[in-house]
Amino acid sequence: MKEYATFLGCIIPNRYPGIEATSTSILKYFDIELLPINGASCCPAPGVFSCFHLESWLAIAARNIAIGEETGQDIVTMCNGCYGSLAEANHLLNGNKELKDKINEILSKVGCEFKGNSKIKHMIEVFSEDIGVKKIQESMKNTLDGIKVCTHYGCHFLKPSEIKKHGSSERPRFLDDIVRATGAESIDYKDKTMCCGFGGGVRAKDIDVTLDFTREKLKNIILAGGDCIVDQCASCHLEFDRGQAEIKKIYGEEFRLPVLYFTQLIGLGLGMEQKKLGLEFQNIPAQSLLDKINGGRK
Amino acid sequence: MPITRNIIRINDLNSGFIDEFVESGRKIFGEDVLRSVELCIQCGCCTGSCPSGRRTAFRTRKIFRETSLGFKDSVLGSDDLWLCTTCYTCYERCPRGVKTTDIIRVLRNMAVREGYMADAHRMTASYVFKTGHGVPANEEVQKQRVELGLNRLPPTTHSFPEALRSVQEVLRLTGFDEIVGFNWETMELRGRI
Amino acid sequence: MTNIGVYICHCGTNIAGVVDVEGLTQKVAKLKDVSLAKDYKYMCSEPGQDLIREDIKNRNLDRVVVAACSPRMHENTYKKVLASAGLNPFLLEIANIREQASWVHLDKEKTTDKALDLIKMAVAKVRMDEPLTSLSANVIQRVLVIGAGIAGIQTSLDIANIGFDVVLVEKEQSIGGRMSQLGKTFPTLDCSACILTPKMVEVSLNPRIKLFTYSEVEEISGFIGNFKAKIRKKSRGLDESLCTGCGLCQEKCPTKVPSEYDEKMGKRKAIYTLFPQAVPNIPVIDRASCLYITKGKCGVCKKVCPAGAIDYERTDEFIEEEIGAVVVATGFDPFDPVSKEEYGFGIYRNVITGLQLERLLHAAGPTKGEVVRPSDGAIPKRIAFVQCVGSRDEHANKYCSRVCCMYAIKNALLIKEHHPESEIFIYYIDIRAFGKGYEEFYKRAQENGIKFMRGRVAEIFEEQKSRNPVIRADDTLLGMVTENELDMVVLSVGMIPRSDSSKIQKMLGLAASPDGFFMEAHAKLRPVDTLVDGVFLAGTAQGPKDIPDTVAQAKGAASGALEVISHKTLQLSPLISEVDERLCRGCGDCKDVCEYGAIEIVTLDTHKVARINPAICKGCGACAVACCNGSIKLRNYTDSITFAMLDATLGGAV
Repeated sequence: MKEYATFLGCIIPNRYPGIEATSTSILKYFDIELLPINGASCCPAPGVFSCFHLESWLAIAARNIAIGEETGQDIVTMCNGCYGSLAEANHLLNGNKELKDKINEILSKVGCEFKGNSKIKHMIEVFSEDIGVKKIQESMKNTLDGIKVCTHYGCHFLKPSEIKKHGSSERPRFLDDIVRATGAESIDYKDKTMCCGFGGGVRAKDIDVTLDFTREKLKNIILAGGDCIVDQCASCHLEFDRGQAEIKKIYGEEFRLPVLYFTQLIGLGLGMEQKKLGLEFQNIPAQSLLDKINGGRK
Repeated sequence: MPITRNIIRINDLNSGFIDEFVESGRKIFGEDVLRSVELCIQCGCCTGSCPSGRRTAFRTRKIFRETSLGFKDSVLGSDDLWLCTTCYTCYERCPRGVKTTDIIRVLRNMAVREGYMADAHRMTASYVFKTGHGVPANEEVQKQRVELGLNRLPPTTHSFPEALRSVQEVLRLTGFDEIVGFNWETMELRGRI
Repeated sequence: MTNIGVYICHCGTNIAGVVDVEGLTQKVAKLKDVSLAKDYKYMCSEPGQDLIREDIKNRNLDRVVVAACSPRMHENTYKKVLASAGLNPFLLEIANIREQASWVHLDKEKTTDKALDLIKMAVAKVRMDEPLTSLSANVIQRVLVIGAGIAGIQTSLDIANIGFDVVLVEKEQSIGGRMSQLGKTFPTLDCSACILTPKMVEVSLNPRIKLFTYSEVEEISGFIGNFKAKIRKKSRGLDESLCTGCGLCQEKCPTKVPSEYDEKMGKRKAIYTLFPQAVPNIPVIDRASCLYITKGKCGVCKKVCPAGAIDYERTDEFIEEEIGAVVVATGFDPFDPVSKEEYGFGIYRNVITGLQLERLLHAAGPTKGEVVRPSDGAIPKRIAFVQCVGSRDEHANKYCSRVCCMYAIKNALLIKEHHPESEIFIYYIDIRAFGKGYEEFYKRAQENGIKFMRGRVAEIFEEQKSRNPVIRADDTLLGMVTENELDMVVLSVGMIPRSDSSKIQKMLGLAASPDGFFMEAHAKLRPVDTLVDGVFLAGTAQGPKDIPDTVAQAKGAASGALEVISHKTLQLSPLISEVDERLCRGCGDCKDVCEYGAIEIVTLDTHKVARINPAICKGCGACAVACCNGSIKLRNYTDSITFAMLDATLGGAV
């Protein structure tokens, strides 16, 4: 059984626990165990905290990596933000001895040491590389045939590509491949790789700007005929789900577009109970989607 | 109608700003990353790629131009600096390899030090001081967690008080408390928000 | 007792600005065996040279050290001075106190000390140098030109017209190269074919030019004056001596595939010529798409050929040619914009490249000169050109490709002439109109209503129904982000080294510059030479350039090659390795390390020994280092000289 140290971050355990529950149980199904990183904190958010004080951001990220490394396993994150912070911190510290020493001096005061031995991975890599599209496809119990999915990759997993090294940031495919493995159709839409608007501290300070990003993406998805959004990032997930409620309140516009983390979509394909997926706790009901799946089955 | 001379006197700009800027981010990113701002040829690829610039006054290349020439106050004092969502699209496409997002982050660090940190951002930071999480768990989510078969609180600083103290200690050592204006006695931000 | 003169150059302030030349001269004058030391403002100037010449004669100098710039700059100048004063030119040493001292340091005292050390070493060396005599070799008075685009054609014609023989080898089935693909040329708008085809015909009629088309040079051995080339003449699937070029086979061939020559904008047959004016006008069977060859069916071409020339089983032939010099004129490939994913080339059908547009604009092209949209064949009314696609780009090619501004302006004007109602935009970072008549041409485009949009295109997306590409870009002059829906977008792609250029590079031992193009011997003073003696560069193989520059360089390469082959013999440097055959055991270690293939192991009566070909040896000394028993010596770079030099600077510490 393969094991990973799981870095939960904030939004997944504290806003969308359905993603945590779904991902854990699906991975168990595929014989992958997620170990907790006891005492982990906020990653801290790459576009937010690094903008306030780079050194503090780096020190906290290094602490999270350090306690994750103690499990002896590679670290897996579920959110692009967490991935962004930990992967960038790993990259900066492993490439700069002076900086690493400086940060370790701080960490030594709280009994930690950043070694830089663990790989930082994202949940999407576990599914597309460890498990693989073929195995996902073979495991499907419910066909999601006829579901039109618009994928959203987010930013901090792919970019900057010279550091993250996950291939094309302009036309990535791995998430679409996973969607197709579930039997659903992945459809293109305008400005597909555009940011959801959440990052960089813009949501906290200028929410109307953030929501204008979100609205544009939602409009493009509706225009293309998407039945739902499938994402791989907790921050984007919150943005699309809660953002729709906020847009309704401010602009009176309603999109009613279900938002699924990619493991929730796989969960649907595996025939997991809706309750276990946590979709009912989200702002935007997924009923329309579930009806379409069930209707398709009849 | 009164007539004003509308000319920028280059001599009056802060020509030392560029070095000050490089110095403030050098230890984290290295000098080359920050000096790349001077490689900008104002082609506009960043701004054309910028989803924020399509709806706001945010102009990436203008910030780079102003930084190179030494418009310190207008760069650091402008609210526009905070409109970048750090999506890295410009970083990916810049034909000159200007490390755009890193430059913006260092400029924001400088702005924070100059006292331009928004209250909303101080508030976000304060949650980490208090709970270790930028987005802490609320009552409702705790119930949902139980319904999903998870522990009421995640195995993070929420469950381990000594871990929270470590996080707080790290932030004290880096001086983040001073930067944000966090009062350890009241466990609240200093001043009125 | 030796009599050494040392001459220290100020090089204006280049050296004297950092080195205390006068103090240095005084110290040098006191060195052992130095009978005089002098400094002068410009030692390479006429009076500077005279100074040395007079001293050799009047003060009986028998060795000379010049402390100045790099020996690459003026070693030859001073060698000639020595020779003219009756002194063996190999009794000269250069101490490089410019590039290795004054240019790279700031501290005056330390730099002066370093200069003194460099001079001490040169003095120690020159004291032990042996007088040497240049060697000579016979020259094969023919030139091999690789590539028959406009560069190779021009070089060949120039050499042949002066009266020497040329072997011209072209990979494609016709000569003409990239220029033959172009419609019209900037800034005069004369048609490319009209100025190129007469030269192509001239090549085919010139008795001094031996033309091999559909052929590749596979191996080159030998050295300046004496090269041997192995040429593969690829099978065309027919007997060239029988083919009359009637074209019936092409007409009747049932197989159609996308034409590479038309940049996939049109189709060709499985048996085909590149274009109607091809030289030679003989087709080739494409073995990958021919039905007879792939499936054993069809055979139509064979049936219809009135000359009975078709021969599917025909195999490649190999020919050897001896030549004295080589000109590399292998040209360029257009940059493939697929990797600039934000522009959607290959996904959005109405986004094409500049070279594809050239084919559409070409009177003999797939659309007979009419520009149409690939998606629906409609005539586009709103067209944009996107400049610097893959050029001036850290993620693709860092360099400016030099031709794209002008070819975009040219094609914009041509479209506007055909359809004055069309709206044309050129998105640019900088317009580079540096050639003769180019700025005027740029202005003419403005006068014709072409809109110049200052800003690098950020991205292109497609309107799904209309398949119209939309450009998103910052108009940097307005400071506004703009979107522009168009009928068609043309990506102005630049030039990159040909995909097989590394093969040529390896075969000839050429160097490449960081951009991947072949490197010239000196950026300014030897722009058509390479670091391999007897090998020259012409055209875009050396770097992006337009047609006038290509032709100029081709004429330069012809003159370079003629300089080599117009003499019956040539002088070779005697600064080479030599084997003491009494000591050598023929182990072959030296042969293994020789980069130039200059060493052969020969069997004598009783034992084997290494033999060095003095014409190939470059005097690098690798063999001398590799030799296990000291039987190889590099002339004037022996171990004892090297130790003496170290002694001179380290003060006997070695």
